[in-house]
Amino acid sequence: MISLRRNKKSVLFASVVTSVALAASVVPANAETGVSSSEIKLGITVPMTGIAAPGYNKVAPAMKAYFDYLNANGGIYGRKVNLIIKDDRYIPQEAINKTNELILKDRVFALVGQLGTANNLAIASKVRLGSRKIPSIGVLTGFSGFADKKKYPTTFMSFPSYAAEGRIIGTYINENLASKTVCLVSQNDDFGTDAAKGFTAAGVKFAEHVKYVSGTQSSATAQVWIGKLVAAKCEVVVLMTVSSATAPVLAVANAAGYKPQWILGSVGSDTTTLKLSLAPAGIPAAQAAALFNGAIGLSFAPDPSDTADEYVKLFREVNANYNKGVEFDNNVAIGMNYALVVAQALRAAGTSPTRAKLIKAMETKGSTFASIGYSPMGWTATSHAGHSAFWFGKFNLAGELKPLDAARTLYTTDNNATQPVTKTTAKRAALPAKGIPTNS
Amino acid sequence: MRQFFSTILIGITLGSIYSLMALALVLVWRSTRVVNFAQAGQAIFSTYIGYEMMVRTGNFWFSLLIAIIIGSLLGAGVEYFFMRTLFKHADDGPVAALAPVIATLGLLGVIRSVVGMIWGNEYRSFASPVSTDNFVVAGATIPFSRLNVLVIVGAALVMIAFSIIFQRTNLGLALRASAFQPEIARLAGIRVGPIRTIGWTFAGGAGAVAGVLVTPNDILSPNSLDTLLVFGFVAAVIGGLESLPGAVVGGMVLGIGIAFILNYVSTTLIFPAVFVVLLLSLVIKPNGIFGSKKVRNA
Amino acid sequence: MHNLSTKKVFALFVIFGWILLIVADRVDELRVYQGATIAITTLAIASIIILTGYSGQVSLGHGAFLAIGAYAAALSQTYWQSPFWFTLLMSVIVTSLIGFILGFAAGRLSGPYLAGTTLALAVGLPTLANQFTFLGGETGLVYDAGNPPARFGEDFTLYKWFFWISAFVVLIAMFLIRNLLHSRYGRTWKALRANPTAAQLCGINVAQSKILAFTISAGAAGLSGALLGMISIVAPSAFPLSLSFTLITGAVLAGVTSLAGSMLGAVILVVIPEIAEVISTSLGESEKVISNLPGFIVSVLLILTVLFSPNGPAESIRKRREHHQKAKH
Repeated sequence: MISLRRNKKSVLFASVVTSVALAASVVPANAETGVSSSEIKLGITVPMTGIAAPGYNKVAPAMKAYFDYLNANGGIYGRKVNLIIKDDRYIPQEAINKTNELILKDRVFALVGQLGTANNLAIASKVRLGSRKIPSIGVLTGFSGFADKKKYPTTFMSFPSYAAEGRIIGTYINENLASKTVCLVSQNDDFGTDAAKGFTAAGVKFAEHVKYVSGTQSSATAQVWIGKLVAAKCEVVVLMTVSSATAPVLAVANAAGYKPQWILGSVGSDTTTLKLSLAPAGIPAAQAAALFNGAIGLSFAPDPSDTADEYVKLFREVNANYNKGVEFDNNVAIGMNYALVVAQALRAAGTSPTRAKLIKAMETKGSTFASIGYSPMGWTATSHAGHSAFWFGKFNLAGELKPLDAARTLYTTDNNATQPVTKTTAKRAALPAKGIPTNS
Repeated sequence: MRQFFSTILIGITLGSIYSLMALALVLVWRSTRVVNFAQAGQAIFSTYIGYEMMVRTGNFWFSLLIAIIIGSLLGAGVEYFFMRTLFKHADDGPVAALAPVIATLGLLGVIRSVVGMIWGNEYRSFASPVSTDNFVVAGATIPFSRLNVLVIVGAALVMIAFSIIFQRTNLGLALRASAFQPEIARLAGIRVGPIRTIGWTFAGGAGAVAGVLVTPNDILSPNSLDTLLVFGFVAAVIGGLESLPGAVVGGMVLGIGIAFILNYVSTTLIFPAVFVVLLLSLVIKPNGIFGSKKVRNA
Repeated sequence: MHNLSTKKVFALFVIFGWILLIVADRVDELRVYQGATIAITTLAIASIIILTGYSGQVSLGHGAFLAIGAYAAALSQTYWQSPFWFTLLMSVIVTSLIGFILGFAAGRLSGPYLAGTTLALAVGLPTLANQFTFLGGETGLVYDAGNPPARFGEDFTLYKWFFWISAFVVLIAMFLIRNLLHSRYGRTWKALRANPTAAQLCGINVAQSKILAFTISAGAAGLSGALLGMISIVAPSAFPLSLSFTLITGAVLAGVTSLAGSMLGAVILVVIPEIAEVISTSLGESEKVISNLPGFIVSVLLILTVLFSPNGPAESIRKRREHHQKAKH
């Protein structure tokens, strides 16, 4: 700063500062950006701080933990996977800035597990991942639009879409609870509207549809919602909400002595998070679990408490050894799982990977990758949809989701929820030995 | 008719929560003419202290007491080490209007980060000392519980206690004098500096009460009081910024207004509702409900 | 600077624009993108300087005007298929108009009352996008400057195109604002700010002059909002309350009364998070600390700047220089 003081004119002064800020040498383009002989660099932007951090801040460290485990077991053809984590605070402009840094400064090979609909839309449209051919693997949002390969040629979804989930829940209601008065509480954004598309497709009519604005959920506002649900005499209430809204809804309803049949959407039913907020210091966890005991839930993957499941078992082990002090839950499981998926994609891209090879590999082999979801992912040359099938269960007193039927029947529809819901017998791929992929 | 009364009750619940934050903001405004955005940070820190005490002792009232003490000390510290330096450097010109905003926002960021470093960015909560079950009146459940009563009582106690201090004691006289006319107060032999620190101490304690009473049955995270800060500030403005009863009445006006819009117009209009209620109240009372014309232009 | 003729200032702006063009060709894409951000933020900060620094009104919710500008531009592109320059013009016209209307209300409110009202506006406005389908809901509207013209060649990246557009538009806008502040109106505002009573006695219409400031400030903010929409997205989540606070921060860093400082404010806003990240990656140990350290450092740097240089670094340097020159004479 000292040298700047000598400038006479404020304008010139400012211009010099700008030039200094802008000045940096051009790094020559590399045919395989982010891949060296010893390392593959990947990047992720997630909310590590800010309003959306609780819960979601566990995803990226869990991914990193799996990669550490992978690296200790030989990495990808001898290359270590290096995941660079950036905090986007759940703000689209920040997500764009941080993604730009990942691509232009850290020069990552690919983006993985980018979180949130608005952020991913911002990144896809303004960082122009498509025209720059930068892969974004396993975006963590259920917004159905991202499967559209024409619009987002390099973006690959992970979760089943909110629309599909809506249609599957809707069909369940039609088949099992048709005589009841059914109501819906949903978040008033892409999450809610995408799900509503599915409910409409299923032909469900809600006696009351309470919409709330993200960030305003609290027990005081939940009083208003519960009031509306009680007034409409709702016997079945579907919650397409985030966990910080699910918790006050259940607590307030309980306080009001209102006990409908709850159906918890998969987004807001991570019981570890729910128990944390519902089982405050001074109240036994069982009392909190009682709030969602008997609620119907659905999931595309095993419950994190299902230690008999090979994926859950492995991820719990990795979590204990490489992610010390972190309680295992859905967010951890999801993070590790998509790290496992990415590892397989990297292997499938070959020993001298390029971005084009990576995308090609995911389109041709993606549906065979081992992943925690019970149905295969829908990655093909024409669609980049993620998992597509759900099973229904009931929460027990311990907060575990137990399948409604012993066979754990899977229900599926397409990503845009245009097809009727059917049962599927699709099987997921077995976990590679020790969770270290050997595919090619 | 039943819905109408339910709406009013929910409005009162919301209003009492907003009032608590508004009271803290008014206490600072009265003593130093600053809108203290760090109030949310000070309150969240005190609340986490309360949480820590709850975990260790399980006694709500003891935890509340410790939170109030820590909150008060923090308030005093902020004024003594922070605001004084600021006022030494920026006390006139247009920057005087903005610098405190930025400084307190920066402080909010610091406290929030520290809370995140100590307790992590995850959800926490603690139990309510009283039942949260809704009352049953003539066979019908009403959206009102003992916890809601506790919040209202808390807001009322804070308001009454500080009103008495301000109106009936010499300290109150000094506080008012140094806020309205610091120069004249100085001439009258009042040590304005320490008096201002006391104002911030009170506000810190009031903020701790707000945080600890609002959190049971709700979630606690480094950002969980952010929206409350905005709502509390608007409530304080509606009340006229000067007056403690104004803060409570402003909170109630805002809370009931929002409850009616949520219940009768749309549950998604909560943020526009804040703007509309504020605008309407300023059209009717441009100086706030309890504000005076003279002070408004000061 | 203050004594320069308009012609000379115009020449300075042209030279400065030229320097920017050359620099933009020599640096990597990330810096070019940041350059666009800096240009846009400069204009947004200038809008606050007009309002607060010159006419003495405080707005805590200027992000609302950026949002209005961005939506006005995006709507005219989506529904009228307007050419890009016209969408920018629309953003200025619409926000100025809304600023004019709000200016009436603002004239009646002072200090914290205006601050509270603008804050509530910034909080309330963006969520309205979810109420009306033509506003595109949470996913927002598509707003695009198009691809760079083919004649610039293959190497001409999208970000360079963003930078050219923002730098060009912002330079013109800043030149106009600079001239305005040096005109009769600028002097009127200064007089008002210094001593409202005296100004009133001299026959200055206080209300009118405040409304004018609000209108122009809103227009400038709207234009920067449209540009922000071009490099970011036009959706409610792109205009959080923190955006408004960031702009005020920039204005304070700029020195509130110094238009030239607005660029410095914008640069600092971009640089501080980078410094914070560098420091925190070298300091952090546990996950809890690492993730919260950047926020901590940004806040601390901010506080230090405000505490020890409340009129902005630009202003401090200018004062020191004046002091120095006086000492010489």
